[in-house]
Amino acid sequence: MAQKTDIRTLPGFRLATIGFFIYLYIPLLILVVFSFNATHSATVWDGFSLNWYAKAFDNSDIRRAAWNSLVVATFATIFATSFATMAALALARNHQIKHKPVFNGVLMLPLMVPEIVTAVATLTFFSVIGLSLGLGNIIIAHTVFCIPFAYLPIRARLHGMDKNMEIAAQDLYASKWATLRYVTLPLLTPGIISGAMLAFIISIDDFIITLMVAEAGSTTLPIYIYSLVRIGITPEVNAVSTILLCISIIFVTISYLVEKKR
Amino acid sequence: MAVAVSVRNVKKTYHGSPSIDALKNISFDIHHNEFFTLLGPSGCGKTTLLRLIAGFEDLTAGKLHLFEQNISHLPPEKRPVNTVFQHYALFPHMTIIENVAFGLRRLGKTENEANTAAEKMLELVHLDDFATRMPKQLSGGQQQRVALARALAPQPKVLLLDEPLSALDLKLRQNMRLELKRLQRETGITFVFVTHDQEEALAMSDRIAVMSAGKVQQIAKPDEIYETPANRFVADFIGDANFYDASIVKSENDVTTYQIGNGVHLKGPLRPNMPDNAKVTLFVRPEKISIINFSTLELVSGEIKDIVYLGSSTDYQIELNSSLSIVVRNENQQNGLAIAKPGDKVSLRIDPTSIRILESENS
Repeated sequence: MAQKTDIRTLPGFRLATIGFFIYLYIPLLILVVFSFNATHSATVWDGFSLNWYAKAFDNSDIRRAAWNSLVVATFATIFATSFATMAALALARNHQIKHKPVFNGVLMLPLMVPEIVTAVATLTFFSVIGLSLGLGNIIIAHTVFCIPFAYLPIRARLHGMDKNMEIAAQDLYASKWATLRYVTLPLLTPGIISGAMLAFIISIDDFIITLMVAEAGSTTLPIYIYSLVRIGITPEVNAVSTILLCISIIFVTISYLVEKKR
Repeated sequence: MAVAVSVRNVKKTYHGSPSIDALKNISFDIHHNEFFTLLGPSGCGKTTLLRLIAGFEDLTAGKLHLFEQNISHLPPEKRPVNTVFQHYALFPHMTIIENVAFGLRRLGKTENEANTAAEKMLELVHLDDFATRMPKQLSGGQQQRVALARALAPQPKVLLLDEPLSALDLKLRQNMRLELKRLQRETGITFVFVTHDQEEALAMSDRIAVMSAGKVQQIAKPDEIYETPANRFVADFIGDANFYDASIVKSENDVTTYQIGNGVHLKGPLRPNMPDNAKVTLFVRPEKISIINFSTLELVSGEIKDIVYLGSSTDYQIELNSSLSIVVRNENQQNGLAIAKPGDKVSLRIDPTSIRILESENS
């Protein structure tokens, strides 16, 4: 009898795993550590200090960029999650829609298309139609590529939902709206929250598309960090990056916990 | 008697490749205040029929009336019927009381009115202490009772039950049978119960509709279904039976002698208007035969081949000749000992009135 081999028992597995995690996380760790460096070096350790955080918070350009990022991510998340929820509901529950795989594919397309292509296309599109809404342009662009990220967990949740829930609601005199409001949406909420969290972090750290689409005065945090790095890496960049990293970790964790809790 | 549900020429076809005729032109009435059971093997169309009455599926043809109101094409939320689902389908994000009050709230009752009525329903199913719990904190049997309370709370004209006991273990299932009967009596609501479990159907129903292959094979009271099944399918599906293809040997004094095999004869009732040499199917329930000491005076004798102990009774497999055997069921005696052992020669006493003649199947 051929026995299934547990991959964990293979020789070198432990070493490979440790190597993998070092490769993945050591750079992040160094970045975080040097954000607390006392001197003006991002490479030589010289004692603990919160100076760079104070400096970063004191920098009005950083504050403005952070605020822009927050506004863009919030609105892009709201729009993308709303569209994704509607799309997921329509594709899962409306049996009159034909060619569902095509719609699914189109929704997923932003995941497949190289970001630089989307970026150039969006920029061209905006300039052709003469759209110039400042942050609005960025919000529209972000909404587009956030939709698939919001869509995936919502669809997964919807597919895992017992169809008898909605049937039972209708059986108990709930109209289509009442069913949606009292049964479908509450049951879908973990998926929606999870999708929104993902959309938010995808939006907040986007660089390429934002760089193309952003007009003067609508600089977001990643773009500002990039401009700082070009001048020279200081622990201030590390501090801002660390804050961004924390935000991402918090959101991914919430997304994971909400999705896990059924 | 008032008719609660009238089913007229109902057909249901699932289109596809291949298309499936789930229901083939079904007509019958379910009476007011009745415990009515749809019984049949899986795929016979019983659940489809229930879902049609509930409004979860569209009729292909025919008409459905509920107390003389045509409901054929009403959406489920407009039909005054409620369903108890096989896997309960309780709303996991609502408390028990919210679950039970859900239907009343949607019917426009205030929260107070709905909660008061819901509490009464929970009392009826003995779960009044569980009002503020969540469904997953309850056991399967408790969830089942919540599902019942939820479906009964809006006081539907007809309650539909889709194999509600199949997910419970045996003891609980037997308790719930009594519970369901009690609820039906106390509420006076017409129950339409779907099951594939013949024992359940016999124990609870006022009338049973036995279904097979999208058709109703027989509608009758439980004892009639068991004692005088309409055809071989019903006889075979409900309980155990010995079947024999037989030809008539002679008839006298209301008793006909049939030949069921080479040299094996049975005495049974006379079927009216039967031509000579007609071929019929006979059947006899195993518990209606008694085993006696071997005697050449008896009509049927054989050798015991196999004994199956069933607890309260024992089945004896008896070979009548090389190609013919019969199963006899004997109540176990106080000492629990078998009355014979394999290899014993025994005779059988079969009352002619316990032999039934079957018509060919309705298909």
